[in-house]
Amino acid sequence: MQTKLIVGWIAIFLAGLAGFSSAAAQTGSVAVVVNEKNPVKNLSTPELRKLFAGEKHDWAGGLPVKLFVRAPGAYERVVLLKLLGMSESEYKRYWAAQVFRGEAQAEPVALFSNGMQREAIVLYPGAVALVNVQDIKLGMKVVKVNGHMPAEAGYSF
Amino acid sequence: MLLVSSLSYAQNTPSERDEIQQLVQQVAALQERVRLLESQQAANSASTTDGTAQAVSTPTAQTAPNDALPPSIPESLHELHGIQWRGFGEVDYKVLNQRTPELGTYGFVPGSHGDFYTGDFELLLTARINDKASVLSEIVFEEQDAQKFGVDLERVLLKYDYNDHLRMSFGRYQTGIGYYNTAFHSGSWLQTTADRPLIMEFADDGGLLPTQAIGLSFTGAIPSGGLDLNYIAEYGSSDTIRPELNGNVFEDENNGNHVNVGLFARPESIPGLQVGASIYHDQISDFTQGPTVRLGQTIVNGHIVYVRHGIEFLNEGFLIRHAYDQNATVFNMPAFYSQISKQFGRVRPFFRYQYINANPGSLFRDVDLRYGPSFGARYDFDDFIAFKAQLDQTERKGQADLDGLHFQLAFTF
Repeated sequence: MQTKLIVGWIAIFLAGLAGFSSAAAQTGSVAVVVNEKNPVKNLSTPELRKLFAGEKHDWAGGLPVKLFVRAPGAYERVVLLKLLGMSESEYKRYWAAQVFRGEAQAEPVALFSNGMQREAIVLYPGAVALVNVQDIKLGMKVVKVNGHMPAEAGYSF
Repeated sequence: MLLVSSLSYAQNTPSERDEIQQLVQQVAALQERVRLLESQQAANSASTTDGTAQAVSTPTAQTAPNDALPPSIPESLHELHGIQWRGFGEVDYKVLNQRTPELGTYGFVPGSHGDFYTGDFELLLTARINDKASVLSEIVFEEQDAQKFGVDLERVLLKYDYNDHLRMSFGRYQTGIGYYNTAFHSGSWLQTTADRPLIMEFADDGGLLPTQAIGLSFTGAIPSGGLDLNYIAEYGSSDTIRPELNGNVFEDENNGNHVNVGLFARPESIPGLQVGASIYHDQISDFTQGPTVRLGQTIVNGHIVYVRHGIEFLNEGFLIRHAYDQNATVFNMPAFYSQISKQFGRVRPFFRYQYINANPGSLFRDVDLRYGPSFGARYDFDDFIAFKAQLDQTERKGQADLDGLHFQLAFTF
């Protein structure tokens, strides 16, 4: 009986380790933008992941984080899902769970254009969004990722 | 209006969504075009009247949007006011290889092999009071015998988030013993499998742990660099009446106030991994020996969870310790479950193995030793409806194996 128990558990553990090693490469030219009043200058990839997963609720200084994302179909959405390691359906389920746990009031607002993202960034001091570098406009403050700006060598986001 | 379109996006069919998305993108592009033309016109007129004004006006143009309210995203539409509703429901069919019902099978009729039931129908209500405070309540309509339904206020919480390091909740909560209870709460749609592992089953469905309590709960992040350490601390009353699995005997545990503390880490170097532990303690009564017979209940949990890239790998172990006050009797009862699943398109096959070794002389004599696998698959029709099929095989000490086939249609709206 104990042998069956141990064999069963080891089988599950090994199967988990096999899947655990998979990872997705992240490439692209997407900038992290915030409101001009936000003092943040640099974010690491893990910090970005926590931000867009809704695990970080405040900026340094207590400014509430306000997430804006692009609607499905946009390139920025693909980058977001890669960052979080989720598919579109997993993203929906994740945010439903976040609301259910009381961790969030609602799924982040999905906007249909980078023009709308720009307006949102300008409107909310705590706003943060991912924007294609080609669509960076006045009013958006670009934040370094892992110490690099989008145009610099070594920028891998 | 644009925002209303975006917010209602998820409620439309795929073809409608595409059409709406195209229209909204066209409108947005036109808005950008109009704005560009207007700014060019303004710049041209300014340069006509004063050749030096153009250079001066450039920084003004950069800062002006900070003060103006952009017309296409009215602030009133972006803030969530009032009560937000979300519903969760399920329809189940479960067939067993025996005619004796066990708890967790809801409307299972004694003498029959299988039965349809609706499980829990839940309404989740949330409301933001201000930037820091909010209210969350979870109302469940639970099927009882003979198509009767009872109402249960599963959670009602006044939440206050002081900052990321201190987030407080007051009211009825689901205890932070381990991972499963706080990750999935009572929503069947959220969980991969059709049911909860028996060790994490709600106490009013025969589960062993005090899964709910009324009191205070604190959680937050601990500055710890890349380890990303978080804490949870709870103090409250988890007074529990637990029916034995045969449904004939109800054990009022008459719990005293409990203390539950836990730590969990989400290492930044391995996104998706969570490792944690918690310890819970309270005093309960053993009514089979008399209401004055008290014992200390200590529940230690450790968990390792990985959820990322479509993989869900859950592992939790428990040690339930019952130490009687009046004598030296102590029961140490281990339990664990492991669950793994992987998303392939719309299908997510899963496998779970669970084990409980409760002492036959303890309060959990009805559970005794039981273990076995469950496997099946979840199919997501879309983001709101899922179908699950699950086969269970449970070996029970001193009894015949209990096999079951469980179908579930779970949905959210």
